[in-house]
Amino acid sequence: MEKTWDQLEELQPTVLKMLKNSLLKNRVAHAYLFEGMRGTGKKEVGLLLTKALFCESLIEGYKPCETCNNCRRIQSGNHPDVHIVEPDGLSIKVDQIRSLQTEFSKKGVESLKKVYLISHADKMSVSASNSLLKFLEEPNPGTVAFLLTEQLQQLLPTILSRCQILTFKPLAPKVMMKQLVENGVAPVKAPLLAQLTNNLDEALKLNVDEWFAQAQKIVVKLYEVLKKNPLEAMVMLQSDWFSHFKEKEQIHRGLDLLLLIFKDLLYIQLDKQEQMVFIEEDERLRQFALQTSGRRISDQMSAILEAKRKLQANMNPQLMMEQLVLKLQEGSSFV
Amino acid sequence: MKFIIQRDRLVQSVQDVMKAVTSRTTIPILTGIKIAATSEGVTLTGSDSDISIESFIPKEDAGHEIVEIKQSGAIVLQAKFFSEIVKKLPTDSVEIEVLGSLQTVIRSGKSEFNLNGLDAEEYPHLPQIEENNKFHIATDLLKAMIRQTHFAVSTSETRPILTGVNWKIENDELICIATDSHRLALRKAKIETDNHENYNVVIPGKSLNELNKIIDDTNEPIDIVITENQILFKAKHLLFFSRLLEGNYPDTSRLIPNESKTAVTVNTKEFLHAIDRASLLAREGRNNVVKFSIIEGGSIEISSNTPEVGKVVEEIQSQSIEGEDLKISFSAKYMMDALKALEGTDINVSFTGAMRPFVIRPLHDETILQLILPVRTY
Repeated sequence: MEKTWDQLEELQPTVLKMLKNSLLKNRVAHAYLFEGMRGTGKKEVGLLLTKALFCESLIEGYKPCETCNNCRRIQSGNHPDVHIVEPDGLSIKVDQIRSLQTEFSKKGVESLKKVYLISHADKMSVSASNSLLKFLEEPNPGTVAFLLTEQLQQLLPTILSRCQILTFKPLAPKVMMKQLVENGVAPVKAPLLAQLTNNLDEALKLNVDEWFAQAQKIVVKLYEVLKKNPLEAMVMLQSDWFSHFKEKEQIHRGLDLLLLIFKDLLYIQLDKQEQMVFIEEDERLRQFALQTSGRRISDQMSAILEAKRKLQANMNPQLMMEQLVLKLQEGSSFV
Repeated sequence: MKFIIQRDRLVQSVQDVMKAVTSRTTIPILTGIKIAATSEGVTLTGSDSDISIESFIPKEDAGHEIVEIKQSGAIVLQAKFFSEIVKKLPTDSVEIEVLGSLQTVIRSGKSEFNLNGLDAEEYPHLPQIEENNKFHIATDLLKAMIRQTHFAVSTSETRPILTGVNWKIENDELICIATDSHRLALRKAKIETDNHENYNVVIPGKSLNELNKIIDDTNEPIDIVITENQILFKAKHLLFFSRLLEGNYPDTSRLIPNESKTAVTVNTKEFLHAIDRASLLAREGRNNVVKFSIIEGGSIEISSNTPEVGKVVEEIQSQSIEGEDLKISFSAKYMMDALKALEGTDINVSFTGAMRPFVIRPLHDETILQLILPVRTY
């Protein structure tokens, strides 16, 4: 989705103001690190600034026109002096950085400026980051780097110290909810979507996604089974869960949803019903909230977060889910 | 865009530009060939962003009509499919028409292809040729110069600038220098320029290799234009663009020794064959090293010793030896590369000590020079 300068300025006023000033004063840094949660518009801002650097007819000296040849080619990924590196599979390989380096040992194709944008920079392998480091250290004149990440801490400190770090603030859930409702999302569903993503377009897509609707039902069902008949939970995993949550991304989403249920229970206990997200399940959750304690909920939540971490470290998904279900079963802690 | 074209000319041009197209590219539009029709003819362009090749098919050649332009315009078509299609079309004439929304129809005889094109506006812009900034050189001379220098470029990426050949233009003379920091090749030639400007650029070795393959071995002049980012070679109906390397080439003039302590003149072929034979055993060893020593009676001994395999000794008669006696070791591969690049039946090798680089030149020819660093042995 294409977003103009003004639209992005509404989302990230501080970041855009800084960029605007550096453009106007001609003090664009050689490397930027954009850090912020998923859907906060990091890539859009990166592309926008790239356009501003290449645009032939800037509006007011900093806004790209979005209509000239260079702007359009950057948008479609066809500009020969703009290089975008995405993770190849699970990580960014050292070969990708090497080919970037050979590319940058040459002069530009059309201009003297060159831009590279590395999305998910935290997914660089160790050798890739070290290889990049050399490259960040001695930038060629006219080269601008954009590194995008959701997890700042996972980058090498030596990389961080060489970049200008810009933090992208997540959209406040309330604002997001309001926007979602304005875009025709049912008010009962809006809080859940707002919790899961910061990107309006993604939220709208999820809203109509068949898989996501089914996923919600399965997660709620899993929780109920755990509550009512813990022994059946393992069976339920086999019959419903694994057939629906196949990819790693999907399991992450499932765990996020599960986490939100426990968060809701906590909110009910703290008497903050207005912050609940599973509004449709309100009645049932109230019942469950009466039967558990705050301490227990927080233990269960940390078990889910632990499971998410293990999934990221490539644990077998089936074993991970089974271990999680055993941990979530109340009263017994034999694993 | 709509035009009718002779198939054999189109196939030839597509083959030429396909040499620049690779499937391994991050820029989607570069998987395509750009076809532009103007009132003068049809231009095909292929590129992998490092090199770009443009082939022009004129409307008429020697009185024969080759292209009939019905409507001008431009389109980018997937190179993989387009090249296969034109090769296998049934008849001698091909009609290419672009309908609205980038749909392209290719007709020949009774067969008809519909290809989805890409917007030609998205294709990289190649530098425009400025007629007053060019210089000429005979094609076969250019090819020789490339052949005599580009083998010496570095293959390691640790110093990217050394993967290119340094071209200097000073006082109407073109100087090509390539080095990988163990050896150096230098070639000079007079050129004709229009505006006597000086240039100093570094051209990637790979690009020159490609250029050498694509241009014909004739003595017609080829035009060369150097722009800020790219160098352009213009042969008849064919344009070859290459990107330049970023950075400054090291100053090599101080590396070449001026005086010499020992000067040897030998027959090139005999010397080359002796080195080749000695390297047969040396190749088994670590560095492909052969030993060169001057023995009494104006002879040279080439030897190589690999204890686990065996040893080889060969004596060759030199034409003249001046100066001190000497024992020196060097890489047989570098020496053979250098000797193969030199022209002339006799060569002159001048040494300045066993630990100093030595220079090989053909006899009575100052335009070419090869420099090799010796290997330290005990």
